[in-house]
Amino acid sequence: MSRSVPALSVQGLAKSFGGAKALRGVNVEIAPGEIHALVGENGSGKSTLVKSLSGFHTPDPGGIVRVGGNDLTFGDPDASRAAGLRFVHQDLGLVEELSCTENLALGRGFTTGFGRRIHWRAEHEAAKQALNSLGYQIDVRRPIGRLSVSERTAVAIARATSTQHGHTHLIVLDEPTVNLPKAEIDRMLDLFRVIRDRGVALIFISHHLDEIFELADRVTVLRDGEVVASRAVAELDQDSLIELMLGRSLRTVQGLRASSAGAPVLTATGVSGQVVRDVSFTVHAGEVVGIAGITGSGRDELARLISGGERFTGRVEVDGRSLPTNRPDAFIRAGVVAVPADRKPNAVLPEHTVRENITISDLSPYLSWGALRRSAERSDVRTLLDNFDIRPANQEGLIGSLSGGNQQKVMLARAMRLHPRVLLLDEPTQGVDVGAQAEVHRLIRSSVAEGLGVLACSSSSEELSEIADRVLIMRGGRVVNELSAPLRADDISAATLSAQKETA
Amino acid sequence: MSTEITSAAEAEAEAASDRPSSGPTQRVRRSLPRLGMDRFSGLYVLVVLVVIYGLWLPDTFLTSETARSVAAGQAITAIVALALVVPLAAGAFDLSVAATLGFSVCLVSWLQGHHTNPILSVLIALAVGVLIGAVNGFVVVVLRVNSFIGTLGMSSLLAAASYWITGGRTLISGFSPALLKAGRAQPVSIPVTVWYLAGVALVLWFVLEHTPAGRYFYAVGANPQAARLAGLRVDRVIVRSLIIAGFLSALGGAILAAQLGLGSPDVGPPYLLPAFSAAFLGATQIKSGRVNVVGTLVAVYLLGVGVKGLQLAGAPSYVSDLFNGGALIIAVALAARASRK
Repeated sequence: MSRSVPALSVQGLAKSFGGAKALRGVNVEIAPGEIHALVGENGSGKSTLVKSLSGFHTPDPGGIVRVGGNDLTFGDPDASRAAGLRFVHQDLGLVEELSCTENLALGRGFTTGFGRRIHWRAEHEAAKQALNSLGYQIDVRRPIGRLSVSERTAVAIARATSTQHGHTHLIVLDEPTVNLPKAEIDRMLDLFRVIRDRGVALIFISHHLDEIFELADRVTVLRDGEVVASRAVAELDQDSLIELMLGRSLRTVQGLRASSAGAPVLTATGVSGQVVRDVSFTVHAGEVVGIAGITGSGRDELARLISGGERFTGRVEVDGRSLPTNRPDAFIRAGVVAVPADRKPNAVLPEHTVRENITISDLSPYLSWGALRRSAERSDVRTLLDNFDIRPANQEGLIGSLSGGNQQKVMLARAMRLHPRVLLLDEPTQGVDVGAQAEVHRLIRSSVAEGLGVLACSSSSEELSEIADRVLIMRGGRVVNELSAPLRADDISAATLSAQKETA
Repeated sequence: MSTEITSAAEAEAEAASDRPSSGPTQRVRRSLPRLGMDRFSGLYVLVVLVVIYGLWLPDTFLTSETARSVAAGQAITAIVALALVVPLAAGAFDLSVAATLGFSVCLVSWLQGHHTNPILSVLIALAVGVLIGAVNGFVVVVLRVNSFIGTLGMSSLLAAASYWITGGRTLISGFSPALLKAGRAQPVSIPVTVWYLAGVALVLWFVLEHTPAGRYFYAVGANPQAARLAGLRVDRVIVRSLIIAGFLSALGGAILAAQLGLGSPDVGPPYLLPAFSAAFLGATQIKSGRVNVVGTLVAVYLLGVGVKGLQLAGAPSYVSDLFNGGALIIAVALAARASRK
């Protein structure tokens, strides 16, 4: 294969969903043995591009994709694989209970002998060889679940590049380094270099700009479905890359500001979890403290820790009383009430009515002589359905019959009914349509006006800019910056991406 | 030779199985709720069974004696089924209910054989039932053993304990007349076991439907993670459900000992399958999708009447196992269909 033939060449690729254009005439060219970073904000078209390459989406007619010089048939995952494209997603698609050898055989099957007996010795040897060539010495009989993440990634890559499906021209790595300690990341970057040195091209998708500068040769920046730049990494620095992503120049980031809100209600001191490291902050009555950070920054974990849902070290205090770890009930009794992210696994009681979902956290107001007075409960719920504008206002309907936005409002009603002192929101408008989002934001702001303290963790900078009074920026498990009003979504995004703007 | 299993093919197969089946079944499903067929189908079937058996066997089936014998014969099954309802509501299996009942029968008989006061004998059996439930709870919540496995193990331990205290024999000596009277009386010409059942059902119905504790059982069973984050002590709720199951099973055992006037290690185990059948069939009734007290009672008597009629018509004794096994599978299939809607 000649060096002059690009591993991947994309010309004029477009994709629209209904009327919305997710990709507008994208052109990218990647040489063999090149590590090519793909960056852009959420919704910039990265994943649409990747899914168009993988055959998951069929792009609009007119675009051309060539892999190793050959035209790619669109909308067919088998064709993408046959053409030499490989995809390693963040979850890696491995089966934890199976050994390395067995995982490598997934998707291609074992070589079998007489009576369909598996030649285990040969299989193990082949698996060992494949991993050795990537620089990993792994006992291939061990179940995948016992391996470190970089080792697992190596197995996933070994499987992706197995010769079973022909020559590999390009591997797409979708956020492979999320949630990893530094040493693991370094090891993984070495792994990617080994692959590159074999002449395979890599598309590296990451929100961690420092990794991109360390690893990538070239970078393509997507914004609103268009390629705004495709350059050698050496020509850029972090600030100029962020400016390309956001499409405007960076302003100097504001420093800390003393809070003008009411008395402190919740104080976290030196809180640490799996990713979160030594985080301290105070939430005052009558303010919304936002938490921003990219995936893997510890933003989502912090929300779970402060709701009492997971084990932490350090102190979380309300009124000077320290709260026990991993005890959501104790947090709720102390007035710290959470609306968790991922409504379905974490909040919804399926096959239960709206009424039962709203009142489950505290049934004591309806209790007389040990029995629940259904009428008192019903009238209470009727008021809440009205206040939170939950539709249809049918409290005996099953929770599953409501739209996502209304279900989220039910969860908000469940929390607010307890008259919390601190409301903890984790992705408060995830999976909620735009109209209901504004409604949820209005409900939050009106409670804050009455003296509620809110801690809101969100991956949406727009959302934080709308509801928060100040925003703590997390990175690598720590709070590295704090922004205060006037908050702009772009500033929040920029701060989450920029490691150099640390003022703490 | 090599096998090719592409992930695409797997994904396709998955999508196919997720796709709701269309056609006649869907049409039937849509018309069912209008007739109330879903919630009250058990009552309809019960009526139909009584009519059919009544026309078929007017002399033997339509007698007060038959009614009494079905009512009394199913009362213990119903108590065990109700015991099972509580942990099932909280999402835990308790496969040890029948063994607890059996051990309780043996224990009461053994205590009677050793001239223990009848009231004390029953109280001891109840305390042991609570202890069994607590141990089940410890195994499930603290040792993190799957409840299905943990209580299966407990069931075997109790079977062994039953053999041990009876020496494998049937204990019949020393039963106090007062205890036997408490198990065999017929106030208002209704067998006393039916009265016991009515009491248990009433209390349990009140607890499950009208107290916070009942709400907590169902919430934990529906989504333990969500229940925990909403402030419920999920582990305690599960332990409590298993203790109630142990207590009610032991109570059933004490009543059965008083009724039979004997204790043997073979008494308990046959109650397991009918109890499960009734609890699961009951979950398709009255409050569809949830195990519940009234539905369970309907199911117990539906199964009891079905078996009794066939037996009176001269069917062999294994018809009971046939009926209960079939009902269990059909009930769970119905529940699975309901949850797919």
